[in-house]
Amino acid sequence: MDQLELLKKDWQKKDHSFPKLSKNELSTIIHKRSSSIVKWIFIISVLEFVIPHLIILFTGDGDSSKIYDDLGLNSFKLASFAVYYIVIVVFIYLFYKNYKSISAQSNPKTLMHNIIKTRKIVKYYIWFNLSMFFIISVVILYKVFNTTLFIDKIPEDANMLIVWLVSLIAITTIVVIFWLFYKLIYGILLNKLKSNYEELVNHAVDC
Amino acid sequence: MRKELEQKFVSDLEENQNIVHKICRLYTNNQDAHNDLFQEISIQLWRAYPKFRGDSKFSTWMYRVALNTAITLYRKSKRVIKTQDFESVSFKIEATDYDDTEEEQLKLLYKAVHHLSDIEKALVFLYLEDKNYKEIALTMGITEVNARVKMNRVKNKLRKILNP
Repeated sequence: MDQLELLKKDWQKKDHSFPKLSKNELSTIIHKRSSSIVKWIFIISVLEFVIPHLIILFTGDGDSSKIYDDLGLNSFKLASFAVYYIVIVVFIYLFYKNYKSISAQSNPKTLMHNIIKTRKIVKYYIWFNLSMFFIISVVILYKVFNTTLFIDKIPEDANMLIVWLVSLIAITTIVVIFWLFYKLIYGILLNKLKSNYEELVNHAVDC
Repeated sequence: MRKELEQKFVSDLEENQNIVHKICRLYTNNQDAHNDLFQEISIQLWRAYPKFRGDSKFSTWMYRVALNTAITLYRKSKRVIKTQDFESVSFKIEATDYDDTEEEQLKLLYKAVHHLSDIEKALVFLYLEDKNYKEIALTMGITEVNARVKMNRVKNKLRKILNP
């Protein structure tokens, strides 16, 4: 007999003499805490939405308003904030909608697909945030480098190209550190899921 | 209302608990891990239960939720990660290990199954439960052709492990 048929016969025959749990025991079990990956993804994603705003809240907007004012960037500030909050509302809506679509009773392919889709929304959100940070920093730097205060302080023979280069490297480093941190968190959570998804949907006929 | 639903669920679960045990048997290597996964699957089943409409059999619905939990949703707790595998430590079938008795063959088969990937285990599980390709495709969310191809591949892989 084929080995796999043997396994099938055995599998169906003896039900592996598993312990039979009573209704009371099962009742207790279902009220325990879940350690589901979706719960973690949700918690981390919400933190990703909330933390940047908490930072703005606690570092205070008063100083930054003055900086924008001094640099003559008030309309830039207004425009960038408007864009920022409109985009964020859209992101929150998309994230919530996708999160709701994650259901344990869909088939494994759909479930994995939906989790990955939800993650993508947050990934785009992170990209958006980092790009905004980059753009705003560059605009502010440009303005700062052109203030009389700055021009007075900097030695006359200073090479502005090098000043720019150092500044850009500093901003990029901050962006990369945030990005790596993000990759690390989700690398831990999603690596297994991604490889399982790829294995499941891979259609290559090579056997 | 909630209490009634819970009673109904618990009695459905009690009746079909072997399905959950079987999946735990395939996806874990020791008793602690087995209990842990059993708990997570039960929690996920209970959470999804209000949406179970009864248009499929309870057991069929259970396959999906339980496999989803084992493949995707379940995050091993720290307690379990460090536990030694009792079956798969440096697994290798030596020629001298091979015994022709059924018992011995079965042992090797179960060992071999433990070395498959999460997806392959799900396919083997459905095969062992005697599901046809249509049902396997439906349960996993893939096409029938894909299910057939993947299943053949898994069978070949198992045979290769068993007959090196």
